Amino acid sequence: MSADVIARTTSTRAPSPRARAAKRMLQRLPALLVIAFVLVVVLYPLLWLVLGSFKTQPEFLSEPFWSLPQQWNFDNYTEAFVEGGLGRYILNSAIATLPSLGIQLIFGLGAAFALEIMVWKGRGTVLLMFLAGIMIPVQMILLPLFTIYFNLHLTGTRWPLIITYVAMGLPLTVFMMATYMRAIPREMFEAAELDGAGVYRQFWYFAVPLVRNAIFTVGLVQFFFIWNDLLVAMTFVQSSELRTIQVGLLNFTGEYGAVSYGPMFAGIAVNVIGTLIIYLFLNQKVMKGLAAGAVKG
Amino acid sequence: MHRTLGDPKAVLVLLGPALLVYTLVMLVPIFWSLGYTVMDGNALRGFEFVGFDNFARFFQDPTAMETLWFTVRYALVLTVLQVVVGYLLALLYVFVLRRSSSLVRTAVFFPVILPTVAVALLFQRMFELAPTVGPVNAVLDFLSLGSIDWLGESGTAFWVIIAMDVWRSMGFYAVLLYAGIVDIPDDVIESARMDGASGLRLVRSIVIPMSLPVLLSAIIFSVNGTLKVFDTVIALTNGGPGTSTTPLTVYMFRASFQYGSYGYGSTIALMLAILCLLVTLFIFRSSRRDLTKG
Amino acid sequence: MSTTRSTRAARRVTPFIALAGAGALALTSCAGGGGSDDSSFSYLGQTQNTAIAGNLEDLGAGACATAEEASPLSTDSVDGTQWDQQMQLLAGQSGLSDISMAAGTPALMNEFIDAGQVVDLSAALEDLGVADRVLPAADSLIKSLYGRDALYALPTELNIEGFWYNEQLLADNGVEPPATWDELVDAAATLDAAGVQPFVASGQDGWPVTRLIGNYIARDLGADALRAVADGDASLTDPEYVAAAQAVSDLGSAGYFGPAAGSIDGPTAENQFLTGGGAFYYMGSWALAAFNDEELNQIGADNIGYLPFPEVEGGAGSVMDVPANVGIPVMLSQAGYDESSEAWLQCIAENYGDVALEERGQVTGFVTESDVEVPELTATVQQTIAEAGTGLLWFEAFFTPEATTVSQTNGGSLATGQISGQEFMELVEAANG
Repeated sequence: MSADVIARTTSTRAPSPRARAAKRMLQRLPALLVIAFVLVVVLYPLLWLVLGSFKTQPEFLSEPFWSLPQQWNFDNYTEAFVEGGLGRYILNSAIATLPSLGIQLIFGLGAAFALEIMVWKGRGTVLLMFLAGIMIPVQMILLPLFTIYFNLHLTGTRWPLIITYVAMGLPLTVFMMATYMRAIPREMFEAAELDGAGVYRQFWYFAVPLVRNAIFTVGLVQFFFIWNDLLVAMTFVQSSELRTIQVGLLNFTGEYGAVSYGPMFAGIAVNVIGTLIIYLFLNQKVMKGLAAGAVKG
Repeated sequence: MHRTLGDPKAVLVLLGPALLVYTLVMLVPIFWSLGYTVMDGNALRGFEFVGFDNFARFFQDPTAMETLWFTVRYALVLTVLQVVVGYLLALLYVFVLRRSSSLVRTAVFFPVILPTVAVALLFQRMFELAPTVGPVNAVLDFLSLGSIDWLGESGTAFWVIIAMDVWRSMGFYAVLLYAGIVDIPDDVIESARMDGASGLRLVRSIVIPMSLPVLLSAIIFSVNGTLKVFDTVIALTNGGPGTSTTPLTVYMFRASFQYGSYGYGSTIALMLAILCLLVTLFIFRSSRRDLTKG
Repeated sequence: MSTTRSTRAARRVTPFIALAGAGALALTSCAGGGGSDDSSFSYLGQTQNTAIAGNLEDLGAGACATAEEASPLSTDSVDGTQWDQQMQLLAGQSGLSDISMAAGTPALMNEFIDAGQVVDLSAALEDLGVADRVLPAADSLIKSLYGRDALYALPTELNIEGFWYNEQLLADNGVEPPATWDELVDAAATLDAAGVQPFVASGQDGWPVTRLIGNYIARDLGADALRAVADGDASLTDPEYVAAAQAVSDLGSAGYFGPAAGSIDGPTAENQFLTGGGAFYYMGSWALAAFNDEELNQIGADNIGYLPFPEVEGGAGSVMDVPANVGIPVMLSQAGYDESSEAWLQCIAENYGDVALEERGQVTGFVTESDVEVPELTATVQQTIAEAGTGLLWFEAFFTPEATTVSQTNGGSLATGQISGQEFMELVEAANG
């Protein structure tokens, strides 16, 4: 639905320009209030996080929630990076997330194409099998997986994380890609075949580009799902060398569980702002895709 | 068409890797875990076959029943709230903000990407009563309504968890449902308006029915996610006070890894999976649509 | 959509995906080296406990240099909340480190011992000729903790527990340090009436509250009362046991733990006490590190007094029995026990006590020969240990892991008076099956 149509169908007929402007502002007031409220509810915590990263430990414990920090140095950040090893955690998260994401998308695209576009007996069953994976609680497979990885001597490496993330993300990825691929008209593939394109060409040069929206949307969602995962990372990686940032944030604790709030918040702030940038970048692509998708061509 | 698109070797090449990883990493452990459900013990003690004892125990265990009830209550309330709030936001984006919705959409989506640890900390501080009074209690005091120990009682703790999850996920559902509403063809809307429909009537008779597929996908996705809540509860209340905010996933995790009864833990997991399946089937049936056929 | 457009799009997407894939292979091939390594002496501990790793490293650099050279120490850590889970997973695959912190719950530790995963230290220390380096008090504590005749863990800490109190607050309100439970309750009433929070405790952690129950039982029914429950000779729901829980619940309903006690976490409670927010703080002597820290302690270390857990009038227990524990001690894995481990074990037995005291002001269960000057509170602790009668273990020491969890997650509700002693005991007893 294009914005123009909506604009046309909701415009009101008012006589004078000034009255029209005033009336429009009044009409929009409740909506603006709602939007302002929503934005505050959503964005204030980011502000609170960043402010918190400048506070010292006693300030956290004794001062009220909304108080401003009493100093504006980067001590907490330094401590987080130097003593807390934040840099290594970020790197580990990246190394665990990006390959998992890439592999997941490629496997998922291939699987979706095979299940949705290609024609063969039993494809419906296999698709349902993937869908069933969405219903499985991950805790159920933790122990068997750990046993498998241990017996394959994979514990202590990054492989358990990557393999697990890929497998866990496949159901949703396959499902979404298949849904988007369903919308592609079959005639296009017929035409491509008549032009002499083999099945792999049809897959890579036709199907994949047409589901760009899905790739970016799924990529966005899965990126954060993996990046923010806590349980799998905690179970399969014990070594502090390979620890991801989420597990690392939990470990900003000193002797006997005294949480160092300052460095922890600094770590969180770095985490959030970093991923925010990635999010904004990917999100732009997704939004453009959604808008373009409205004008299907 | 069927010549190239029916090529079995190509199917294997394209589908194979995904299927292989999925089978080995998810399906095999699932069946393995099913095997555990009729055993008792753990990796250290060893396992012994106990038939259906674990299942009998599940239905007689008051804690299991309490967690089951909590899980269902939580999933129901949260799904409704998530989808409704998400839908309202999506309507806001489409009909009120129109072209300038991109910025707001992005901002509202932002909580989705925050790590659970951070959000839990935030909500704990927001609702706290001691040692310092958090904003929520401060507002209540201001209105002379008296402060509440939000996380200290199970009734109020439930609502704090719900609030946290709605805050975290409404942006996601808003975007998901927005995609569905945006797809409704212009001419349908326009002709409806020319027939005199506007506002609520328009939403009820045109927008909802036409965005139904996406709505249903969102509901199913939400239900499956909320039934398996784990991180949020652990980070915010750790299942407390006592076990009053413990969902099945946390109970299963504790049974397996803290109490050392993998058999029982796997049984709880199976119950949860069955619950997810039943609910999903129920939603399928009541909408009388088959998702795989679009 | 034209073919050229899609090809262009594909060309843009392709490198991205290829890069991700190549990156995957390249980066994962330089995966971190892990797994057990026979040439090193591996230690696994909880992240929250930096003392043991620190002490071991100091030993490696100093007194144990030869052992270090033969088999260098490598330390790693796991978050404490995941500790038992990780231990179980590793033990199940016989993958425990050479030396590690013991399992959190004695019940789990006993499973490890039964499965032959843990070295019998009584025999090992005897063989190495250093059996006399472990303090008898610590030795008997650990043995009774696991219910064994032999030692299966090293006492890397020796802690006593009691009420630390703010001397100033008591003096200002004319309260004498109480000697009996009833006097304690009266003192609390007086303080409460004067607007001072009588007790500071972490309801969220739960155990600071449930400790009080266990100690009350020991004072009222004798030091063996909880062992009797574990052996099946008594039940937690017997009236005399319920009375103990009820005594604590009464404190909670009177509001003596302050507002929202169930939501106060450990660091917050400690901070509250150290900034003068409460009078009595039940805690173990490991908190001395914070008490002696000038930045954290704003009421002054010389303003803190130690009060042994009071008597219960007419009770069978003695006030000379001190609640004590060895923290989470350290065990050696049978699978990794070789010559290098023996060398390290001998060196640890001979020197750990001194290093811990000198470098960290820690009191351990090892014999020390150091004459380093210690802060006043530490000296008080050492003296109390020297004069102590029986060491009392904590309330959940003999419980199943499930009952431990139930007890600790409901401790907060006791502190707010939400549940009665009867309800609490019933919950715990049910989980103790």
